[in-house]
Amino acid sequence: MRAYAEGLVLTAISLVALWGAWRVPGATPGDTWAGIVPFSASLALLLLSGLMLLGASQQTASGEDKTDHAATFEIISLFLIALIYQQSFRWFGYLLPTAIVAPIVLYMFGVRSWVGLALSVVICPLVFHVIFFELLGVFPPFGEVFDLLDWIKG
Amino acid sequence: MEIFPAMLSVITDPTLLFAIVLAAAVGMIVGATPGLTASAAIAMLLPITFYMPPLFALAFLYVIGKSGRYGGSIAAILFNTPGTAASAATQIDGYPLARAGKAGKAMKVATISSIIGDLMGDILLVVGVGFIAAIALKLGPPETFAIYFAAFVVIGSVIGSSITKGLASAILGILIAMIGLDPISSEERYTFGSFDLSNGIGLVPLMIGVFVLGEVFAQMESRRKATGDVEENESEGDGNSLTWDEYKPCLPHALRGGFIGAGIGVLPGLGSAIAAFISYGEGKRRAKNPEKWGKGALEGVAAPESANNAVSGPSMAPLLTLGIPGSTIGAILLGVFLIHGIQVGPTLFLTDKELVYQLFACGMLGILAYGFIGYFGATQVAKLILKIPTNVLYPLIFLTAFVASYSARGSMFDVTVMTVAGFGGWLMRKYDFKIAACVISFVLAKGAEETFRQSLLMSDGGALIFVERPVALGFLLLGVVAIALRVRGIMKERKLQGGLGDA
Repeated sequence: MRAYAEGLVLTAISLVALWGAWRVPGATPGDTWAGIVPFSASLALLLLSGLMLLGASQQTASGEDKTDHAATFEIISLFLIALIYQQSFRWFGYLLPTAIVAPIVLYMFGVRSWVGLALSVVICPLVFHVIFFELLGVFPPFGEVFDLLDWIKG
Repeated sequence: MEIFPAMLSVITDPTLLFAIVLAAAVGMIVGATPGLTASAAIAMLLPITFYMPPLFALAFLYVIGKSGRYGGSIAAILFNTPGTAASAATQIDGYPLARAGKAGKAMKVATISSIIGDLMGDILLVVGVGFIAAIALKLGPPETFAIYFAAFVVIGSVIGSSITKGLASAILGILIAMIGLDPISSEERYTFGSFDLSNGIGLVPLMIGVFVLGEVFAQMESRRKATGDVEENESEGDGNSLTWDEYKPCLPHALRGGFIGAGIGVLPGLGSAIAAFISYGEGKRRAKNPEKWGKGALEGVAAPESANNAVSGPSMAPLLTLGIPGSTIGAILLGVFLIHGIQVGPTLFLTDKELVYQLFACGMLGILAYGFIGYFGATQVAKLILKIPTNVLYPLIFLTAFVASYSARGSMFDVTVMTVAGFGGWLMRKYDFKIAACVISFVLAKGAEETFRQSLLMSDGGALIFVERPVALGFLLLGVVAIALRVRGIMKERKLQGGLGDA
């Protein structure tokens, strides 16, 4: 079942890649087509996915695939937090999202000390801000909705 | 001879020396921490090096890579958990030695053998790299493309147990690299109307995502499977000291391992793990005491450790002379070169020869630095690692991945790329696709495409140019032979397994 799923996902990716390569405009005279490498790579991937599906059809069933659903759920949750966290930089700058996400991720990794979690709200954004935005001089992301750094600096 | 003035200039620069020692210590700690890899550390520290001079940045990351390979042996010997895939061979004899109260002795053998192997690799690199670069200067686009093709095939088919998945991983890397504007005609490819995508996918966010965030996801998963605490094995009595008589039988294994590692290091994609296992197998085959191997033979530590570290130097040869990274660390270092505006390839030895040899000198000093720290302080490093709370470490790495990927170009799109790449990297690991093949192919794809299209222009669109030129044909055939040999090897393995199963 897993081998079929892998083959089907690769087939889908290769078909999207083929479609994307097909949309690249043709070459001007004396030039080479810009889509030649993407098109060839997509075709090769389609061929490989075909081989994977063929291999899957020849496999004998060896029982249920063991999947740790709880672990998968945790990782997907962490991925969703990561997506929201990176998007919230655009809305609220760096400090506020980091102050919120730091204790959540620490809790997810098993930290249960309330003092530690409370300290992470202040220490994590402060330390990362000082290292990257003060010492290295990187310009911090500006929050379009509300920026804590802007507010602190008045 | 360029290495001597380069060495002198490095030795007389105290800041650079400090960076080398710091990198040696950081690499050792990272390599020895189960779950953390030198690639992850280098990817995470990459944005910080934007603000450093090129030699400083390259030396710092290069030495972390070297020291990280060695650091893996600390975890393998003392905790029975290989810190890196390459140190799994060291674990076979290293851990039984530690259980027998000879942890210190095993660590000293690992340290000396690592130094021997690594220095052998670096000396061969220094001697041979100029020669390879001179040949590379004479290659035209068809020959260079054929080398790229062979590299794709070897990287895709040799790494891992499934050729199909390995090759698919390599092609996925190529397709990701195709996103953005075509460098020749400026036509949009796979942008789907997005302005951000038209700039392409950056190497730094991709690396941080795959190696750093992907590792955090993997650690979250393995946390649930952990069975208990890791314990360090202490040395007893004379188990900490090593005499010349004890190391003497290890020396031939270390030297042989050095040559095996150096030979494998030149070939892109094979890496330290393969070198270590080949050296271990070859050492056992030639050993006077093969019955002791696997039960705690010091020679069984020397052989893989030497080969594992000897890969490091020669793996830089294809990177510096052809722009083909032989490993994930090489792929990241290629990014550092490009970020600092240094074009890697045969012309590097005409434009930045001094920098290259200074980097080699830094590598050699890095070997001595990690050797010194490891010989006298490996057990202290192990104690320090046991004190690192992983439940705090990985959340901090999670947060660092975001700010590091943003810092690279000050781009929020890079942070999104990093996040998606992190999840993609975890999925690839989970379903046995090969991240190394994907990342190295991503780095190689642009150069391969350029040489392929230049060749087509040279021949007015005819593909026969690759067959008519003997060097190009040779490399294309090499790729085909590599796949054929791999398929044969897998078939043999399956037959053997089937036979054993029947028995």
